[in-house]
Amino acid sequence: MRPARIVFWALLTLAGVWLQNIVPGVDFLAPGLILAMQEEKWTVPVWLGGIWLFIQEGTGSMPFGAGILWYGALAGLYFFGHWLFEARNFLFMLILGACLGAMHFLFINVMALLQDWSIYLDRLGVEAVQQALIFPIEWGLLYLIHHHLPGDPHAA
Amino acid sequence: MAPGKWVHEQVASFWSRYLYFVGIRQQNDQLRLELDSAKKELADLRENASEVERLRQILSLTPPIDWTRRAARIISHRLGPNAALETFLIDKGSAHGVSVNMPVVSPDGVVGRVLRLSPTAATILLITDPNSRIPVVSQKNRTQGIVKGEGPTKELTLQYVPQGAPIEEGEVLVTSGLEEIFPKGLPVAKVTSIGRSGSSLFQLIHAAPLFTPRQLEEVALLFKANAAAVPVAPAAAPVVAPPPQPTTAPVSPIITPPNAAPTGKPQKGLKTPAAIPPAPGQGAPPPAPAPAPTPAPVPAVVEPAKPAKPAKKADKPAESEKKRRKPARTEGQ
Repeated sequence: MRPARIVFWALLTLAGVWLQNIVPGVDFLAPGLILAMQEEKWTVPVWLGGIWLFIQEGTGSMPFGAGILWYGALAGLYFFGHWLFEARNFLFMLILGACLGAMHFLFINVMALLQDWSIYLDRLGVEAVQQALIFPIEWGLLYLIHHHLPGDPHAA
Repeated sequence: MAPGKWVHEQVASFWSRYLYFVGIRQQNDQLRLELDSAKKELADLRENASEVERLRQILSLTPPIDWTRRAARIISHRLGPNAALETFLIDKGSAHGVSVNMPVVSPDGVVGRVLRLSPTAATILLITDPNSRIPVVSQKNRTQGIVKGEGPTKELTLQYVPQGAPIEEGEVLVTSGLEEIFPKGLPVAKVTSIGRSGSSLFQLIHAAPLFTPRQLEEVALLFKANAAAVPVAPAAAPVVAPPPQPTTAPVSPIITPPNAAPTGKPQKGLKTPAAIPPAPGQGAPPPAPAPAPTPAPVPAVVEPAKPAKPAKKADKPAESEKKRRKPARTEGQ
């Protein structure tokens, strides 16, 4: 991998964790995973997904396995969706973001139900909406930056 | 002479202030650098002073008897999509002797308890989380209840306080220690409102936590004095350790009756009807079954070719005992 791309993914990881601290409940690394699946070799999303999985598992309050389900479902949605849509289409990202927001709401609810936890539903709803809105916007920004990295064939 | 001196001073001053600027620029640059350095040092010192003040407050926290405290730094608040609970992360984990359910306090009062562990970090469940419930007692009127979290930016509720129980607004709620997680007497919250809710048997009481979650930077973990000596504690539910025994004999956690047999097997005998003492008014217990008669030896001449036969014969006494017991049981009923 080119050094510019290594720097890009490292900075994305740092910025994502920082933003997750500012806006808790929202996954800022998920758009990066989709972008890696679209633009990089298959080994890159596997490595990034593995690292980010441990970050999410360690920082969250759910038992181990919640992150695997989360990123597994995201990858599944992407692979299912890109048979039906153009993978780099912004509309597809809007739909994927909406699905991710709904999945956040359902997923946390189910996990809390299984563990007999009470959760604050109002906040969960707000987080789901935030996730649905932030995902396509962040993906668009990352897509533009990634295509202007030095050495990229799309770069002017 | 004086006017001459005055003129000389004025001229020299005019020369040095307005005309002779050799080295002024370099001196200016150097002073600016020194000023930047001093500003940074001042900011660092202010930060240190603030930290010292916070740590001093934590050190001023007097742990209850048989408890010790250890300060921990908060390294992150809620973070990521899986942060469903009101939690934060601290920089102490199982490698520092932290165990699940260990109390976490601030100089103002109870903050929460340890929810889960890793070797170098621990997740703390705040008392404001809806899954947190702490038995408390009001400091002045000694009214008991359970404090329950209601979520972020919401006040806590005090549950199960009967109508008519004395409690006042502004009263501090302290831990009662009934759940054996928190030591008794730690301040938890302050009562803000008291009311009624319809036909409920209990009062509707709200209380404000004594800390602001987002402003916390350091907290103190409370260790049981004997647990703090062990550097690595098992990651399990807290178990109240027994007090040190003067003798070296191992202490059994199972309480056995004084007339119990020393071996394990005869304890089964306690379940037999003969061993259970009669309840008052139920009369005498049914008689204990007589010892089983020993089977008569089977003559080898009768059936020499069937080795399994003696076993069958041996079972027979048990069957006969069963039949003999059955009517005795019906009599007892």
